[in-house]
Amino acid sequence: MTDTSIADPSNDMEPFNLQFPFTRTLGNTLSTFFSAVAQGQLIGVKVGGRVIAPPLEYDPETGADAGSEWVKVGPRGTVSAWTYVPEPTHLHPVQGPFAFAFVTLDGADTPMIHVVEAPEDQLRSGLRVEARFKEGDEVNGRIDDFVFVPATDPSPSEGAGEPYQAPAEPEIQTMDAYCDLTYVDNAAPVTRVWTQALLEGKLVGRTCPQCGRTFVGAVSLCCVDAIELDESTQSEMPQTGVVTNFTVITPVPYPGQKETEPFVRCSVMLDGTDAVLGQQTIVGIPASEVRVGMHVALEWEPEGQRDVSEIGNGGHGSTGGAVVGWKPTGEPDEPAENYVDRMM
Amino acid sequence: MSHQPVAVVGIGQTHHKKRRADVSIAGLVREAAQRALEDADMDWGDIDAVVLGKAPDLFEGVMKPEMYLADALGANGKPMFRVHTAGSVGGSTGIVGSHLVSSGRHKRVLSVAWEKQSEGNAQFALGGGKSGSIGAGGAFAPFIRAYIRRSGAPEDIGWKVAVKDRLNGAKNPYAHLKLADITIEKVKESPMMWDPLHFLESCPSSDGACAVVFTDEAGGKAAAKPPAWVLATAMKSEPSTFAGRDAVNPKAAHACSDEIYKQIGVTNPREQIDCAELYVPFSWYEPMWLEAHDIAAPGEGWKMTDSGATALDGDFPVNMSGGVLSSNPIGASGLLRFSEAALQVRGLAGEHQVPGAKLAIAQAYGANAQFYAMWAVGSSLDPLGS
Repeated sequence: MTDTSIADPSNDMEPFNLQFPFTRTLGNTLSTFFSAVAQGQLIGVKVGGRVIAPPLEYDPETGADAGSEWVKVGPRGTVSAWTYVPEPTHLHPVQGPFAFAFVTLDGADTPMIHVVEAPEDQLRSGLRVEARFKEGDEVNGRIDDFVFVPATDPSPSEGAGEPYQAPAEPEIQTMDAYCDLTYVDNAAPVTRVWTQALLEGKLVGRTCPQCGRTFVGAVSLCCVDAIELDESTQSEMPQTGVVTNFTVITPVPYPGQKETEPFVRCSVMLDGTDAVLGQQTIVGIPASEVRVGMHVALEWEPEGQRDVSEIGNGGHGSTGGAVVGWKPTGEPDEPAENYVDRMM
Repeated sequence: MSHQPVAVVGIGQTHHKKRRADVSIAGLVREAAQRALEDADMDWGDIDAVVLGKAPDLFEGVMKPEMYLADALGANGKPMFRVHTAGSVGGSTGIVGSHLVSSGRHKRVLSVAWEKQSEGNAQFALGGGKSGSIGAGGAFAPFIRAYIRRSGAPEDIGWKVAVKDRLNGAKNPYAHLKLADITIEKVKESPMMWDPLHFLESCPSSDGACAVVFTDEAGGKAAAKPPAWVLATAMKSEPSTFAGRDAVNPKAAHACSDEIYKQIGVTNPREQIDCAELYVPFSWYEPMWLEAHDIAAPGEGWKMTDSGATALDGDFPVNMSGGVLSSNPIGASGLLRFSEAALQVRGLAGEHQVPGAKLAIAQAYGANAQFYAMWAVGSSLDPLGS
């Protein structure tokens, strides 16, 4: 599910949804903790004369190793502070109203931050809560295997503070951490000028009045002289050029990767200018036949089918889905000395 | 120089691996830091400030990890700094740590740099999560092709670097890749990844961390083991793309080594410097950096590689540790280079020791070959006897 509410309605750029299934290795301390959680047992570690729960690998006061003197804590505890979330998003740990709260478990000396499911008017400092664990197939050995709810019996937890015997090899060794972030790269004025030109089948560039270098793409400054290039410095660029360098990439699979076969990305220096478009696509010939010095001409997508939605402010001359790519013209190759310092 | 002398008195690193399944991120950085403290004969409480470096947070998907790691590195109640300068960050993290001592602000500083690549995917992260990421190899392959064309170097130079660095790595107990049986044939026949770079000419993806303890002059003189003295530091940067940029032989790379040489009075780097750890994630960067740092004349760097001058027993050993080609926990890779240079002048580099090394340099670079960090370390404050 993508939350589109953050998009500026005047912006024609699409929200981008960044997703990745990161995998955490836990190390012995957190493996021991999460393996205990999977058994419905909360634990802490005794270090520096106090019980820290959940356990850390180190004493946060001093940095010293915390060791492995495990102690049973909870399942009941006491709320000391909270903030209420009346309308959770899909990224919150639970989908109904809840509080993020500091809960000091019975037998522990430090609070843990966790979810308390209770009506807002029941939350108070000193509220007794108890852990309610998931069961059966829902158990993953993760921090969201349990939530806290108001305790039916406020009396001290049985067994809290007693030693916990950890298994030699804790069962839970890793944790999936799914990243799901939606953002909008609101288009800068120069990005809108660039994408509008692409929609009209034009390339535009801006020339620095001080050094004479031309920059193509969504660029409105000269990075050499550090001065702004406004629209008065802009002109239309030729649509033919020379491949000044290229690479053939063997794609590795990752979430979001659409490439499956080796693909070419090249730099094209536009004819009669010193302007270079980076990361361009070559069409009409196999990847193995792409050469430095090759003359190429731009092939546009048909008008009305040009997609500029993925062009952001950061790309140096990205042509996105507005073009098919650059096609070799068949002219004799350009000698290297004419573009030796314009490979990108 | 106006600043106060700085000594490296402790160095620690993890065993680098494709996946350190046995530790958390906190456990990984602590493993390196504890080894550095042990080397320095210190404890967490002896440290005045902590500097933490790593490459982009999207590699592991932990945003601003310096906050989560502050107490794991004993920084409770102490200054904590985060450094990020892309691939050069490990070097910059060392330099920032040394400056906190050279400025006179702190007496004992811990610099830690790390990456845990196995938690995510570098290609994904470098492409901002979008399709068609070219990755580091795709970004640097064009520069390498241009270097080969410009220098007229034979194609086997890259293969030779790949073999040499892996043989050095096989002598390093901490290295990720230990390919003692690697050959030119194997490199040549490994799959083409980013034309003209083969698989075995490319760095691995590693989990790992590196840590360094810095002290002032008194601390260095009182240290139990020989210190390395930080003689010069420099950092430079340049924009990624503009007409006239020489990405093969970047101005910022030259400026960085020029500044180092000027600070210590080096006029003939190849003669006066004993060995170098240079950031070579793809084989051809060895000759490229030899030229960019004036160790070889323009167009001549590959001849040093070809003749064996850069081998462990050559007259100018490069990447004695096995380099980035043998271990690449990205954020830590720069500090690993800086640490190896220091280990060499301390005489503590074990099987990959260059006998009698007195003056060593280390370099790291990042982004689109835009960011540079270098230092020179010596076995004394005046290794050239000037």
